[in-house]
Formats: sequence, C-alpha cells, structure tokens
Amino acid sequence: MKDERLSCGIPALDEVIDGLRLGDNVVWQMDKLDNYLRVAEPFIRHALRSGRTVVGLQFAPHPIVLGFLPGMVVEEVDPRFGFDSFSAQVNRIIEQKGREVFYVFDNLSSLVADWATDELLANFFRVTCPYLHELDTVAYFALRRGQHSHTAVARIRDTTQVLIDLYHVKDELYIHPLKVLGRYSSQMYLPHRYANGILEPVFKSGDASTISLTASRTPLRVKTDSIAPWDSVYRKLAQFHEDDLEILEKTSEIQALKQELSHMIIGNHPEFKRLSEEYLTLGDLLTIRNRLIGSGRIGGKAAGMLLARSILLKTPGSVEFSRILEEHDSFYIGSDVFFTFLVNNDLFRLRLRLTRSSQIQREEFERVEERFLAGTFPHEIMEQFRDLLDYFGQAPIIVRSSSLLEDGFGNSFAGKYRSEFCANQGSHEERMEAFLRAVKLVYASAVNPDALSYRKQRGLGESDEQMAILVQRVSGTRYKSFFFPSLSGVAFSHNIYRWTDRIDPGQGIIRLVFGLGTRAVNRVGNDYPRLIPVSHPHLRPEVGADIAFYSQREIDVLSLPQNAFQSLSIADVLEDTHYPNLFLFLSTLDNGYVNDPVTAHLPSLKNCVVTFNNFIRQTPFVKIMKEILERLESAYGHPVDMEFTASVDAALNVRINIVQCRPMRVPGAMESVQVPDDLPRSSVLFRTNRNIPGGVVENIRHIVYVDPLSYARKAPPEIRQVMGRIIGELNRNPEIGRYPLMMMGPGRWGSSNIHLGVNTTYSDINNASVLVEIAREEAGHVPDVSYGTHFFLDLVESQTIYLPLYPDDPHTDFNGDFFARAPNILSEFLEEAVEFEEFLKVIDVPAVTGGSCAKVVADPHTGKAVCFLWAAQS
Amino acid sequence: MAGEKSQDNPFVVAQAQITDCADILKLNQSMREMLLHPMREFHVNFPVRMDDGSARIFTGFRVQYNDARGPAKGGIRFHPDETIDTVRALAAWMTWKCSLLDLPLGGAKGGVICNPKELSPGELERLSRSYIRAISPFIGPEKDVPAPDVYTNPQIMAWMADEYSSIVAKNQFGVITGKPLPLGGSPGREDATARGGMYTLREAAAKLGLDLGKATMAIQGYGNAGSFAASLAESMFGSKIVAVCDSKGAVTCREGVCVPRVAAHKRTTQSVLHCEGTTDITNDELLEMDVDILVLAALEGTLTKKNADRVKAKVIVELANGPTTPEADEILYKKGIHVIPDFLCNAGGVTVSYFEMVQNAYMYYWDEEMVHERLEKKMTKAYHEVFEISKQYGINMRRAAYVVAVQRVVEAMRLRGWV
Repeated sequence: MKDERLSCGIPALDEVIDGLRLGDNVVWQMDKLDNYLRVAEPFIRHALRSGRTVVGLQFAPHPIVLGFLPGMVVEEVDPRFGFDSFSAQVNRIIEQKGREVFYVFDNLSSLVADWATDELLANFFRVTCPYLHELDTVAYFALRRGQHSHTAVARIRDTTQVLIDLYHVKDELYIHPLKVLGRYSSQMYLPHRYANGILEPVFKSGDASTISLTASRTPLRVKTDSIAPWDSVYRKLAQFHEDDLEILEKTSEIQALKQELSHMIIGNHPEFKRLSEEYLTLGDLLTIRNRLIGSGRIGGKAAGMLLARSILLKTPGSVEFSRILEEHDSFYIGSDVFFTFLVNNDLFRLRLRLTRSSQIQREEFERVEERFLAGTFPHEIMEQFRDLLDYFGQAPIIVRSSSLLEDGFGNSFAGKYRSEFCANQGSHEERMEAFLRAVKLVYASAVNPDALSYRKQRGLGESDEQMAILVQRVSGTRYKSFFFPSLSGVAFSHNIYRWTDRIDPGQGIIRLVFGLGTRAVNRVGNDYPRLIPVSHPHLRPEVGADIAFYSQREIDVLSLPQNAFQSLSIADVLEDTHYPNLFLFLSTLDNGYVNDPVTAHLPSLKNCVVTFNNFIRQTPFVKIMKEILERLESAYGHPVDMEFTASVDAALNVRINIVQCRPMRVPGAMESVQVPDDLPRSSVLFRTNRNIPGGVVENIRHIVYVDPLSYARKAPPEIRQVMGRIIGELNRNPEIGRYPLMMMGPGRWGSSNIHLGVNTTYSDINNASVLVEIAREEAGHVPDVSYGTHFFLDLVESQTIYLPLYPDDPHTDFNGDFFARAPNILSEFLEEAVEFEEFLKVIDVPAVTGGSCAKVVADPHTGKAVCFLWAAQS
Repeated sequence: MAGEKSQDNPFVVAQAQITDCADILKLNQSMREMLLHPMREFHVNFPVRMDDGSARIFTGFRVQYNDARGPAKGGIRFHPDETIDTVRALAAWMTWKCSLLDLPLGGAKGGVICNPKELSPGELERLSRSYIRAISPFIGPEKDVPAPDVYTNPQIMAWMADEYSSIVAKNQFGVITGKPLPLGGSPGREDATARGGMYTLREAAAKLGLDLGKATMAIQGYGNAGSFAASLAESMFGSKIVAVCDSKGAVTCREGVCVPRVAAHKRTTQSVLHCEGTTDITNDELLEMDVDILVLAALEGTLTKKNADRVKAKVIVELANGPTTPEADEILYKKGIHVIPDFLCNAGGVTVSYFEMVQNAYMYYWDEEMVHERLEKKMTKAYHEVFEISKQYGINMRRAAYVVAVQRVVEAMRLRGWV
C-alpha cells in the first residue's frame, strides 16, 4: 500500500514529517557523518522489528559509516571501478532484492573521491532513486552538507522524496526537513532541536536566524566550494600564477595536485598514468581542462593523441618536431556529460539492460538510436557547445568517440564506436543541429550491436565505460567544392605484413592515402592504400600493371555544398592536374609499367595511378615517420599505431598532424618463443618465416583446410559464396570446439570478395586458435591482412595466431602431401556439405597420425613459426 | 633438374617438338644435333649494390639458341624460379617464331633469378645495368637483341640500352627492343600480339569461308592480349564477343558482351566476373561454348585430352603460349577444328620488335599506320605459308608451322656451311 504510513524509528520525527511512505528516498544532509547513525539506526531497528528486509549498501573500501546490526543484510559495492560499473552493481542488487525492501546507503559524498565530480554523484542518485521508488522501497542516503555543488544538490533534491538537514549548532543537534513530498504540516519545514528522542521546533525568529546562519554560510544557489576533486584541485591550482606553477611544478604539493588532475582527466590506467606523468606538464593538463566541455575524463583516443604529440615534442632526436607537427586545437567532451545525457533522457537503464543482455537486433538498435537522437543536453553544456561551434566557425570538424576503454592498453574497440564528420556548413542553427546529431550518434554507438558483442566477448560486461568525445578540426584544405587533407594514413611501428625477408618488421609500415584517412583505416572494396615498409620504402608487393590495380582510385572527402562525407573517384574530384604537388602523388601507367613524373608538369589525369612514388623519393616523409614511430614506441615501451594526416608545401617540406595514437595490437603474444629447428622433416606440417605474432598452441586436433589450388581453379562462384557459412558451421560445432582448432585457406580470410580469399566474417572463425593464410602466387592470392580493419583487430583481440604461409617461397616448408592425403571427415560434421569436399577438408589430426596432435610454435622476434606433429597431452 | 619429370621440363618438350619436325623433314643427324641444343649459353654471376650498402650476387643466363638467320632475338625474364632449361626452351621457340615470320633473326632468351617484389626501383635499375654489363660482350645490334618479358618492362629496357651505350661509348638504342617511345621504341607495340593474331584469323576465316562479321567469339583470358583481341575483333571485323573469362571465372552474353564495359569492370575489380549485362559461367563452360571462334589468351595447357573433344568452335586462335597440349592438338585436328598455332598467331610482338630494330638502325621512325601495314603483310604471308605446308604434308597447322620455321633455319645453316 503506497499510502501506508511507515515509521522512521523516531516517533517524534514521524510526527513532524507525517511518517514515511513506501517509495520514499530519504536523503540526510549532515555536517557530521556520526549523526547518520543516530537516524539510521532507529530506522533499521524498527524496520527489522516490523519484519522488513533491510539491506545496508556499503561503499567499500571507505571507512564504515554504517554499523552492522543483527538481522540486516550488508552488500558491498566498490566505487573505484567507476560510476558505470558501480551504478550497474547497485541496480542489480536492487533488482535482485525486489519490492518493499528497506535500504540504508553509505555516505554518498565519499563517492566523489573516486569519481572526482559532483556531476556523477548526482547522476548516480538520479538513476538509482527512481528505480527504488518504482519498487516501493524505503531508502536512506547520507550526504555531507556544503561539500557539493548546488547544481548537484539541487538535482538530488529534485529527485528525492524526502530531504532532511541534520546539523549541529552549539553542540545541539538540529533536524530540518527541506522536502517531504506529498505531506504537509505547519511545522514541517522548521528546524527542530533533537534531544532525548524529542523534536522541538524552533519558532523564535532570533533563535532561528542564529541557527540558520550558523548552519548555512551560502544559502543561495551560487557556486560552492565542493569537496569533489574536480573542483577542489582546480581551485587550489588556480591560486597560483601560471608562471609560478612552472617553477613550483616539482614541489610535492603541486606534484600531488598534478597527479590528481591527471587521474581525473586522463584516467588511472598504470601505463597512461606513467606516460602522463612523464610527458604531460601541469600546463598541458590545465590546457586540456580549459578545452573540456563538462567534466570527467577525455578518453583513450584523446589521451593517446595528446601524449603522442607531447612525446614527440619533448624527446630529443634528429627531427625537430616543433617544425613538423601541425598545431592542434581540439576540444573534449568530458565523460560525465555522457552519463548526464543518459540520466537526463531516461536512457541509463535502457543502456544497462542492453549491456547486460549483450545483444541487440539491428532494428531495435535503430529505435534506440532514435531515442538517443531525441535526447537533450543541459543548458550549461549547450552553452559550451555554442562556444565550441563559434570557435571553429565553418571549419569542418570530426566528432570522435573517445571512450575510456577505447584505444587504451588492453582493449581497442576499434571501429565499434562511431566517429562522425561535420562538414560544418550552413547557419549556426544548422551547424548546431548537425553537431548535436553527431554527438548523439556517437553516444548511441555505445550500445550498437558490435560494441555489445565485443564487450561480451571480452568479458567487459558492466565494467565502467566512460564515453568521452574528441572534437577535432579536420586537417586539410578546401579544393574546389571539397575539403580534404592531401595525405592521410595509419602507421604501425611494428610491421606484420612482410612479403620479403628484406623488410625489417621492427621499423614499421605506413598505409598512405590521398584525401581523408578513412580509406587507410578500412579496407574499402577494391581500392588500396600505398603500403610503405619503413625499412624499404620503395619496395612494393606488386609488379607491372598490377600496381595500377593495387592502388587508390577513390578519395574520401567532405563535400561542402552537400555538407556531407563522400567517397568519389579521384578524377571526379580533381577534374584536372592543378591540385598542388600532384606530381608527387601520381604516376602514369604506360605500356604496362609505371612511370613517375620527371617534372612537376602533369599533362593530364589520363592513365594516372596513385603511387606516391615521388613523394616517398623526394620528401623527408618516410624519415620523419620512422623517427615518429621509433620515439613513440620507445616512450610507450610497446609497439604503437597512429593515424595521421600530412601535407607538403611548394618547397617539399612535410608537416604531420597526429590524429590518434594507441598501443598497437599484434595477434598472439609478443614474448619470445623458442621455435624448434631440429624436428624430423616428416613431422613438420609447415614452417614459415614471415610472422610477427607469436605464441604456442598445443593439442590442435582438427584442421579446417581450404585447398588453395582447387579453390582457385575449380570452385564455382556458388560454392565460394557459401564457403564462409559452411566454415562458420564447423567453427560453431561443439565437438570441434572441444580442442584447439586451426584453419588454413587461400588468400585473405574475412574478405567479402570471394576472389581474394574465403568470405568468412569474424564470427565464422572466432573459435580458431590459429589462422593460416596461404599465398600461392599462381592462384593469385596474396594474404594482405590489412591493419586497422575490424577483422584484423578482432583477430588480435581474440589472440588468434595469424600466420601467412608462402608455399612458393624456398625458405618455407609446406607438407602438401599431408594435406592432400589426409582423409576428409567433413561429412561427419556436415552431411549435406558433400559438394564442398573437393575444396574444403576437415582433418582429424590424431586419426591421421595415430595419436599425435598438431602444435604451432611462433616466435614474434625471429619471425619463425612451425607447425608440427606432436604427441598429444591430456 | 634432377628427378624432374620430363613432361614438366620445358626444354624436353621443346626437343621433342624438334625431333617430330626433323622426322617430317627427314633431317640428317648433324642438322638434328644443331637444332636440339643451343649454340651458346652464358651463365653469369654479377654483384648488385643494394640500398643498405651491401652487395648481393645474382645469377643470370643468356641463351642464344640459333643465330643462323641473323642476330639472335629474345626477351629477358626476371623471375625467382628461373631455370636454365626454361630459358633454353624459350630461346628455341624464339628461333622458330622469328624464322616462321621470315624475320632475319635467330632466337635467344635471357633471365635473372630474382624477385622484383623484393627490389626497390633503385636496386632494380642497378640489377638491370649489372646484368647488361655481365652479358655485354655477347650482345649487340648485330649479335643478340634482348627485349622485355616476364617482370621486365620498357623502363628496364631503357636502363639496359643506356648501360650498353655507355659500355660501347656510343648511342646504341638498337641493342634492345621494347624501349619507351621517347627512347627509340616503336609505335604499335602495345596491341601487336593481338593485332597480329587477328590478321591470321582473318586469313583463316577466308580459307574456311567463315564470315567474321557474323561470327561469334569466346575469349579465354582477359589480360593484355585477350582484351585487345576483343576490341580488335569488334572493330576490325564486327564479330560478336559472346563470352570472356579470366583466372577468376567467365561471363557470357548471347547478344554480345559490351567490350568497353567488361574492360572497365576488369580494371576496377581485377575480374570480369559479375560484369553488368552478363551471366557468370565457369571457364570450362566457356571453352565448350557453341561459338565460331575460340581465342585462347591465358595460360599453357588450357585444352587437353580431357576437354578437347567437347570444343565446338570452328577456329582456335592461340594468342597464349602453349595453350593446347599435343594430345588435344590431335583431337582437334581430327575434329576438323582449325587451330592457328601459338608461335604463328602470337608472333606480332616479335615482329614489331624487329620493326623497332629496323627503325633504330635507320634512325627513321614510322607512324603507327605504317607499323600496322607492315605487320599485316608479315602475318598474312606467314599464315599462308603454314596453311600451304599443312595441306601439302597433311599435317596440322602447328606441325606445319614447325616445318616452315625449321626448314628456313636448316637452310640458313646449310648455306652458311654449318651442316
């Protein structure tokens, strides 16, 4: 019964506030936490006596405010894992406990120590209270008076049903109800002196003013001195003059403040923390904070970009990066804004539900996306958005997800979250509308199907995901009616794709494109970026006319009249040869060979091929990139990958803009592994020497083998089209899944083009421990696992060992006989797949070898790998 | 190579063909001996300075198979799997091809064991120059004139011509053919192979009473030769191209495929498959289509004893090298299918190379029209000579072509007093 009058355990207070009701959230705002016990304990005792379930929510590991009373249930929740995970845990507890349960929450104010901002504290309250209210519970909360911003307290006040001040004046305790929803009495909102179980209202104006003056130093809603580190740290730093900070930076007080600021802005991952401490000055952090909209962290992508810039500018070397790196003037939308958006627009619990179920149908996601698009932002955030748009004017910008988990150490989330270009044309209102849409789409992408399944697969479940946003100016210039950078790309400090042993994998590789870099990060149809191995920049894996095919034909641009991102043919965008320095980027295909322009004069675009040959040869670009990769890898202590744009001026000076930098992931492990070289030849199934990822996989029982030659020569299109699906069924077969699985096949796995390789999706191969791409030149297959593609990164994340195998290479061993002669047991798993038997084989290794399984040992440092037969271990 | 099966060794195959021909011509032992072995072989090992400063030693070959009829002529291949036997066989075939077209040239071939995918442009240039330095004593416009082949191109020819010119201290562009146009190359080279093949097809159709304006054509292989063949057959004769294919698969359209569209589709997807306005079929289906003309412009060994019997075309145009096995040849001959054999059909390329030599020697360059005109004459004449011998001896066109070619070489050797 909602209207049932319940006791708070203090009859006098019941009298004043007309008792409690089911659904009440009661916030006790107090100056001393000890007093919480004086009101909570009677509440708990009375509830237990009345046969209620009472749950104490304790925020570990903070000192216990709430004592344990026999009969009550205590649940511990740890706020150190972040707002998101904490709120989800509390939500789950409430869900499990069910209806009409009584709760006593720990001190809410302690949460800001971990979360840094009052914003998140208020958000937690605002997602938790309504749910409690729905379940007809009664919940007590403690909050420290005068230690939080008025905005946060106001939100709490607006949300809760009951808000009561509890404070001391001259050693006497006063209880002052500030809000009691749905109840009223003439004395309800007066301060009451509380002693010996009696509440005595303070009527006399003189007393009342003394009490109130003492209790509230800043009664109006002006900015208070919040204890939340977000405000307090900044407030402390603001006391110093900028110049003094530089001098004082080494003092322990400022160091501590800097660390705290870094923790709040960059995060607490040990590696990021180390890099931040080493390479970001206090001034850098304050600059970031000045460009931060809302509060909270800036996320992995933004942090990576900023750290990379600082590393290059602050480490010595042969290249003077202050002359090379373009300035950046990015803004950041703090991660708290995301939660506020979710909470304000009633999306938090929806997101929680979706995260828990870990799946969402495409159609449902479209509906969810609509709900995100309908959401609104608080006034103060909108004001800052306006400032941001005014700052950029009509310059194109990109709104990029920069979540805490993204681009950090351990998880990549690459491609799971969205980035949106804003051509930023039109009136202020139109630009604002487009910008808001972009931000909301990025927010909605937190629950897109790929992100959810990725979280599930990585066991991230309800872990804290703080979605910040990086708003960057798009690099480039206007050309005709388009906007694009001359050059963009992605560079890796470790090169997995070696088509010849001459290439030093340790020096990395660059994927370079003309125009926006979207083309370098993704594999787009039959369009190819230029691959530049840093150790041998002039080498390329194609010869003759093939160069023209394996080149870029389309360009990604922002069309200013269309106010949109477009992929267009290069010839359509350029129209003629007037684009600056085109002779550096293009070559001509004459009589089957590529001819590089000798002069800057290009007569026409006819037969032109994007090669960047002259750019590589005539500018210091590769030398600069080499140094960038070396310095970043050295500072990170780990291989890195970075996105960049580049430009070249008339004097052939190159400038680089680092757009993103993150620890690079390579499939398998990076630790050295001893590859046995004394194996009897008969036991070796294959041996290859061009891998970078390493690791050991033992007890491989089944090999799914797509025969490269029969696939290339005989497999009709209808067979090729469904090959991926059949492999997917094998991949999901529980019997096959009981043991480590190896898959081998021609060309590029994961290609949607059936001529380039087997058209699997990631879910068709995700149970394979080893994936082998067989490159037979005569079959026209070149395994080019393209870095940055989602498929590749999925392999990396799932620690699948990826091995390119070149049977035609004299340094490679390939036991073709084994694969040709081994009986095919495909029909044992898929009776109906008989027509695939000519091309697809399932080999039961122990059945063929009399008990031995296959074992793969791959050493990332020597690049050697071997697969051999070995007695199975139990 | 030890243990290699004889049928996989191209030189063993080439020798068998010579023996077959020698039997028909009833050649004496000394003639046979001369024809069965190359006259000269050069094995060279030469250093190349790599980009990292190190020196790497490469191995190359130059085989002058027979130069009884004039300076030897043949391409240079850069390939990681190059073997001397491959080079020998290819040099032999160049000898017969030049002779068949009645070019005043002998036959040669060269190769370097290397992988161009592992070489930077600078290294490739230094390798090309080093190779020429190594074989320079044996080549020259009057001795042996190389040309582009597998993984070599006009730019490489230009480097080689320049290097040779430096060695002899005078401009000697005629030492190499297949050079870029601004450096003594000949116009008309790009489509020479396909165009030469089309001239022989035109003559064959006239002999067979086939109206090419109404004829249907299927083209197997859509690389340089195949794609030019498609457009030339359309523009020269008005033939209808009803199917084309490449290594990935085939497409067909009974009303005729749109040749420019297929070319554009192939450029962007590297395959003819799924081209708009066509239906995908398999390569085997293409070979067995009921068409008037089947153009083989892909790889060797396309028609074998397994599928030759199912071929329905009236004429087979062999633009590729060795697309028909000897067993298939016999089956086709018995079925009355007219085969224009490879080393006649695809000799347009070497003929224009010869024209390039002539132009270099005269320092007077022709326009494309002149090249086409002279190519037409050469191809037409050669076709009729082969056709006549085929009738005279009652042998298939391939054997007839060998007879014509070998006969001329033998005659030259005899006149020179060698045999």
